[in-house]
Amino acid sequence: MVDTGLLDALAQGLVTGSIIAAGAIGLSLVYSIAEVPNFAHGDMITIGAYFALVVNRPDEISLLPGLPGGAVSLVVAGAFALVAAAAFGALYELAIFRRFRSKEADLITMVIVSLGLALVLRNLVLFVAGSRNISYETAVVRDVNWDLYLTGSGLTVQRTQRQAGDIALLGEWGYPVWLLLGILAAAAAVGYGVYRWRSTDADFRTVHLVSPRVLGVLGGVATLLALAYALRFDPQGTDALWSTRIGTSYKDIAIVVVVAVAMFLLNLVLKATRLGKGMRATADNMDLAEVRGVDVDRIQLVVWVIAGLLTALAGVLAGWSASNVNPNMGFTLLLPVFAAVILGGIRSPYGAAAGAILIGISMDVGVYLLPSGLATYRTAIAFIVLIGVLLVKPDGLWGDV
Amino acid sequence: MALADFAVSLLTFVAIYGLFALGLNLKFGFTGLIDFGHVAYFMIGGYVTAVLTMPAQVTGYDGLGGYALPELLAVVPGGDVLGWLLGVAGGMVAAALVSLLVGVPTLRLREDYLAITALGIATILNEVVRNETWLFNGPFGIRTVHQPASAAFPLGLGSFILNLVVFGGLSVLVIAYAGYRVGSYVKDVDTTGAALGLASVLVLGGSIGALTQGGPLLFVGVGLAVAGVAVLREAVRRSIEPERTLALVVALAAAAWYFLQPLLAASNPTVTLQTNVMFLFDPVAGPNGGLDYDRFFMLLSLAFLAGGYWWCQRTINSPYGRVLRAVRDDEDVPRALGKETFRYKIQALLFGSALAGAAGSLYTIHLGFISPDQFGAMITFFAFASVIIGGTANNAGVVLGTAVFWAINSGTQFLNDYFPSEYAVKLAAARLIFIGVLLIVILYYRPEGILGEQDYDIRLPGDEPAPSRDDTAAAPGGDADD
Amino acid sequence: MTDDPILSVSGLEKTFGGITALDGVDLTVDQGITGLIGPNGAGKTTFFNCITGYLAPDGGTVEFQGDDVTGNRTPSIVREGLVRTFQIPRELENMTVRENLLLAPGGQSGEKLGRAWLRGGQFAEDERRSRREAAEMAAFFELDHLLDEPAGSLSGGQRKLLELARVLLTEPEMVLLDEPLAGVNPTLERKILERIHELESQGQTFLFVEHDIELIMEHCDHVVVMHQGQKLTEGPPSAVRSDQRVIDAYLGEEI
Repeated sequence: MVDTGLLDALAQGLVTGSIIAAGAIGLSLVYSIAEVPNFAHGDMITIGAYFALVVNRPDEISLLPGLPGGAVSLVVAGAFALVAAAAFGALYELAIFRRFRSKEADLITMVIVSLGLALVLRNLVLFVAGSRNISYETAVVRDVNWDLYLTGSGLTVQRTQRQAGDIALLGEWGYPVWLLLGILAAAAAVGYGVYRWRSTDADFRTVHLVSPRVLGVLGGVATLLALAYALRFDPQGTDALWSTRIGTSYKDIAIVVVVAVAMFLLNLVLKATRLGKGMRATADNMDLAEVRGVDVDRIQLVVWVIAGLLTALAGVLAGWSASNVNPNMGFTLLLPVFAAVILGGIRSPYGAAAGAILIGISMDVGVYLLPSGLATYRTAIAFIVLIGVLLVKPDGLWGDV
Repeated sequence: MALADFAVSLLTFVAIYGLFALGLNLKFGFTGLIDFGHVAYFMIGGYVTAVLTMPAQVTGYDGLGGYALPELLAVVPGGDVLGWLLGVAGGMVAAALVSLLVGVPTLRLREDYLAITALGIATILNEVVRNETWLFNGPFGIRTVHQPASAAFPLGLGSFILNLVVFGGLSVLVIAYAGYRVGSYVKDVDTTGAALGLASVLVLGGSIGALTQGGPLLFVGVGLAVAGVAVLREAVRRSIEPERTLALVVALAAAAWYFLQPLLAASNPTVTLQTNVMFLFDPVAGPNGGLDYDRFFMLLSLAFLAGGYWWCQRTINSPYGRVLRAVRDDEDVPRALGKETFRYKIQALLFGSALAGAAGSLYTIHLGFISPDQFGAMITFFAFASVIIGGTANNAGVVLGTAVFWAINSGTQFLNDYFPSEYAVKLAAARLIFIGVLLIVILYYRPEGILGEQDYDIRLPGDEPAPSRDDTAAAPGGDADD
Repeated sequence: MTDDPILSVSGLEKTFGGITALDGVDLTVDQGITGLIGPNGAGKTTFFNCITGYLAPDGGTVEFQGDDVTGNRTPSIVREGLVRTFQIPRELENMTVRENLLLAPGGQSGEKLGRAWLRGGQFAEDERRSRREAAEMAAFFELDHLLDEPAGSLSGGQRKLLELARVLLTEPEMVLLDEPLAGVNPTLERKILERIHELESQGQTFLFVEHDIELIMEHCDHVVVMHQGQKLTEGPPSAVRSDQRVIDAYLGEEI
């Protein structure tokens, strides 16, 4: 019998971190470019989740007129949520924040304005959908466990699943010690090689689409997975020196992949388009950007639309991951999302993404390490990490000089 | 529940949250600290006072205490109240101490970082109280809240007639005075603005009605809302002094609700009207009628509010307050003039938190029961809304703003009677949507709030009081308090 | 120009991410008006920031009236008697001119929370003294008719005066003036200079940064020239003016 351990907590933390990242990247864009410390971001996430619910479970929301075609699948509903949230993002900018910006409202005013917006959004959800917990209508996803046994002769992997109360064995294979070491060495070598290859021909002016460090890690992980899949040998026994279980599902994997793709697309926009250059210039200095001919109003509109898209993504993924959508979900995400953004130093969406992964992992690993009675302090862990970092580095880990 | 009871409860609420908001105003309005964790000190004050004053052995309570201060002091005359006051002081000190622990690391951060860390810490403290049963009984809360001097109530002065004349007469005098103040303020209102204002209220009311019905009426509701806002804008545009129009509309609505509605709706109009007019006198309390505990507690809460107001005014109208405002406007300037600004920020945080703690003590008594659920982050946001609506950095404005906020949020609960009960959640949500919109609209069109920043006057012994522009501004404050 | 120097700086260093702003500055300032000049980027403002506690120097010492104040925080340096003005005046725009001035006097007992509540002891006396001093200072700078106006309504020149008045109300031993005449019309400029000379004759010490070199040469007893984070030379105006190194440093600019 195996138990879940640190590796499971890490995997879970990666999923949590991905959902936080979807919120945090949008918040950091709004924070640095629109200069709004947006306390409505949590409720924007909630609204995003409910947009999908409106078409995925129309029967649950009686106030709105029913759909002619009936309910749609979560993927379609998610797409609808993205579109609707983008439109709402534009609405926030046009109806509220553009007006306040033209009055040169200070940071404190923006904080309070976003608070007012948060109040409106949260109660709009309550008004339309009530306070019940609702879950999306989707296929049931069952966890697949990856049980790892480290024995004297090597590593055994069992794929198991809980079916009707019993643990069913879906597959079993293993790696002898020499192969295990070989695969790890190959992965490390590929990772390092990619990193060197990408960074050698660069001088300091090169703008990498994806930083060599990230590419190196990705290369290493890809090699590890590919080799591990290709070179499956016989099981090496389950008489383990050390064993652990990692619970995953295709839901978890889908969440990480979707967020990663979204991050890559945003990265593309920021680095490879004129629009992205304008956004970065505006983030550095709005007045200067305006003088240089950047259409700041257009940039701000785009920022809010992107933020809307990302909040809907975060909301739908969070609701799907927890199998629960409720009016409070965004607010519980708000604190870790803010923690991630501040940790990353506000100015950079990349810092926010890194901060999000760090926060997500520290939340889940923290819960694993703490005694079970303290598991409810999951959000608190995010905050303790944040305050600890701020005491040492008041501008965040990757903050301005 | 009779309307008068409802009004008494509302007024008690306004007094308690007014005190809470005064504490916030000290931090936010005068010192510029965005403390999004203000509710934590409200919670701490409430819990600590409750634990200090409740009896030692209570079934169903597994937390610390109780320490039964009123019982310990029962040998002294007035020991019951004295013990409770000590409990309140303990709550205030505990709130201040916790805010010191929070403030020392966070007050050095940027203003927006302070907001989010304070919010986070308040959320964590709430989690701690919820999860640690050994501390304050966790999610089950405290049900045995000590009520100071409760043995003396209902309070009668002797014969029925004496009670009627004293308590009833007092009530009538209060209403008459309030009416006089409102009347003298609104008598200069211009008629066009007033008419348009009243019309917009009716249209908006209809819009809310249609919206709650859902379905196809949704569109009617949205249409009416747009029309109502248009009329409202016109009213504001055409009014020479929109605040007088506003005061008139509010006063008319309140008067209609308080004096006319019982005549139309109640089964026994004269009795209902009598309880409304003589709101301090309860004919069935005790053998000869008298003042019941709820009324007394309202007066006690108002006394605390008045005390807190006086104390804040004294703090602000001093060289100390001058430095606080300088810290708010640009911290570098007082630093460049040799002031230790960090000490000022810490002190403002401690003092504001202590006021929140006192408000928390009163809150526990008003509800008679506390649990962690009552201290969510929304309470802080409500206080921010109150401060901004009434006037940031204006102590009178903050009390007015609290009254406006709770009049909208609780005072309109009687509207629930006109809708099926399942719409209660929707109506509550609609009110908060309205408040959120109001907050944004006020920040845009009138960022200084209804009253604007107050005037300052450091009065020295032997000096003539400086003539203050506050006299005219105080009038709308008078009417919203009733 | 006798006795010990009022301000004595030695070996002051400051770098920003690899760029050296101050590279071992040695400087002493005596009673009177000392001018500090140097081309753009010479490190004058960083020098000001380092000795007044706005930036922590990376090396070197600052001694003020014989006390080591290196790395002390701004408020404590101000209370020692060393204050500065800002290049762009920073008024508290929501507060009146009077309130701006009343913030300055040190040791007001009413600025303590306990005193503000109890109002005993020196409370009234201190406040009356502060008000009197503020009114006198306002009169000295011809701001007395504006005392009850919000500082935000003042003109640029009036703000310069207010800033100077406010700084002087802290009763400093020495004032660092960061371009007090930039953007000021000639009439006001003369007025400010008159005031500075009048105060100097009463024993006040000034360190004066100014772009207009003619002005420095005319009004200072002693001139220090900074260049590339170091002191280039110092001496009486006439000697500095003819120094070849100074002319080189200002190459292309008229001296």
